[in-house]
Amino acid sequence: MARESYQEKLDDLRDDVLYMSELVLERLRDGLDALDRKDEELARTVIEGDHEINQLYLDLEQDCIDLLALQQPVAGDLRFIASSFKVITDLERIGDLATNLAGYAEDADQDRYPDVDVQSLGDAVIAMVEDAMMAYAEEDTDACFDISDRDDEIDELCERASQTVVRDLIEREVGPDPPQSEIEAIMQDVSRLLLTIRDLERVGDHAVNISARTLYMVESDDELIY
Amino acid sequence: MDAKSDRADRLRGEAGNPALHPVMTDTAPPTAAEADDGGTEQNASGTPDDEDDVLIDTTVSTGGDGGSTVRSDTVIESRNLEVHYGDEQALKPTTMEIPERRVTAIIGPSGCGKSTFLRCINRMNDLIDGCTVDGELRFRGKNVYDEDVDPVALRRTIGMVFQKPNPFPKSIKENVAYGLEVQDMDVDVDAAVEKALKRAALWDEVKDQLDSSGLDLSGGQQQRLCIARAIAPDPEVILMDEPASALDPVATSKVEDLIEELSEDYTVVVVTHNMQQAARISDKTAVFLTGGELVEFDDTQTIFENPNDDRVEDYITGKFG
Repeated sequence: MARESYQEKLDDLRDDVLYMSELVLERLRDGLDALDRKDEELARTVIEGDHEINQLYLDLEQDCIDLLALQQPVAGDLRFIASSFKVITDLERIGDLATNLAGYAEDADQDRYPDVDVQSLGDAVIAMVEDAMMAYAEEDTDACFDISDRDDEIDELCERASQTVVRDLIEREVGPDPPQSEIEAIMQDVSRLLLTIRDLERVGDHAVNISARTLYMVESDDELIY
Repeated sequence: MDAKSDRADRLRGEAGNPALHPVMTDTAPPTAAEADDGGTEQNASGTPDDEDDVLIDTTVSTGGDGGSTVRSDTVIESRNLEVHYGDEQALKPTTMEIPERRVTAIIGPSGCGKSTFLRCINRMNDLIDGCTVDGELRFRGKNVYDEDVDPVALRRTIGMVFQKPNPFPKSIKENVAYGLEVQDMDVDVDAAVEKALKRAALWDEVKDQLDSSGLDLSGGQQQRLCIARAIAPDPEVILMDEPASALDPVATSKVEDLIEELSEDYTVVVVTHNMQQAARISDKTAVFLTGGELVEFDDTQTIFENPNDDRVEDYITGKFG
């Protein structure tokens, strides 16, 4: 009976982590949509909804602690709980990054740098997180390595996008005596865009973290952790 | 001379006191009374008769440097060791190496042969009617089942502590001194008793009541008294058969701490049903499963974090056994 209850708790933890990932991914998509459409209401929903993710994170953290303390898991169970403990941290951080994106939405000016395709970048990192969580759910170690490889491409895309913005800033001709307001607007757009690129790159990093913990969970292989 | 080299010398037959030598003798096997868990500590009667005869050579040739010798890290080695009780096989052919001055835990479900294996190490199974042992159990390279090995002398070097604390109805001091006296060991008894009680982390609690009965102590204290009795004659190996299973958590914790401390000077082999205890206190873990099969033997960390065998994974996570 006690062991059945223990197994149920493990199953519940897995289900809850996957539920948290769905919630986080939804917020991430909403954050990107808000940024794309300058949708302040949607942005507010994302920002105000972050506490829900934070609370879920704390609840699942407590579940992990309870399992460790009361069931004293070993072997595969131990790796599953330890990995889930780390995965929920990554998901919580992705939730924070979604609120960042939503926070940029109100003042974002996508037209100033049309060559930087934030939405495509966002779609790519969202797909990485989705696949990382699928790998976690299905214990797919091949997918873990694939996601790690894809992050290299994301890093390269982000670096190229950042260079595009900086190069444009350097080459931009604003005339001999530009109004102060125009300078400030350009500077805010540039820094906001650079932060957006950095945040999306970090989402990709968290997807790799999730993959690394999944690989460890399944095969006790720490190759992707280091 | 430190304790370790002192014991090594005794085994090599180089120590000054011939009475301490666990030599090959024709001493009669232990009496039937000693077959009882409650009465058989590491030593019974028996006096060595030839200091030149060595039970076991503690050195091995490295072979790669022209014949120099080094101490072997493996102190106990079983080779295809198997045990039958009558027609029933209790232990399938088992091969494993137990490292020196480490804690090796043996875990597994009831009836898996773990206690049977433990008892082979100091030939306690000799005392069980119908028990036959095949294969080899080597202690420092010498098969302890060779005809020229005296089991009584062997048990002097390989002590044992049992599940249930079993102090004799004697004083605390007499309990600890018992092993020394029956072996006619020429030592300062008071000093040896104090040393053993200190090593067993019991001295501070009983130093003012050494003449009180050992039976008046708490369960945890009684078990540490038995450990003191086991280590008083300064054995090399201490076998423990579920030494904390009858104790409360506080007493268990003290015994576990003690086991860890003892491993600095002794090789400890402990059978336990408590897997968390095995994880806490041992360096190596052997997992026996039903049918008397040694399924996996590895570093404790590996066993409890990433066992190789699915049956071990299922057993330690509570899905089997």
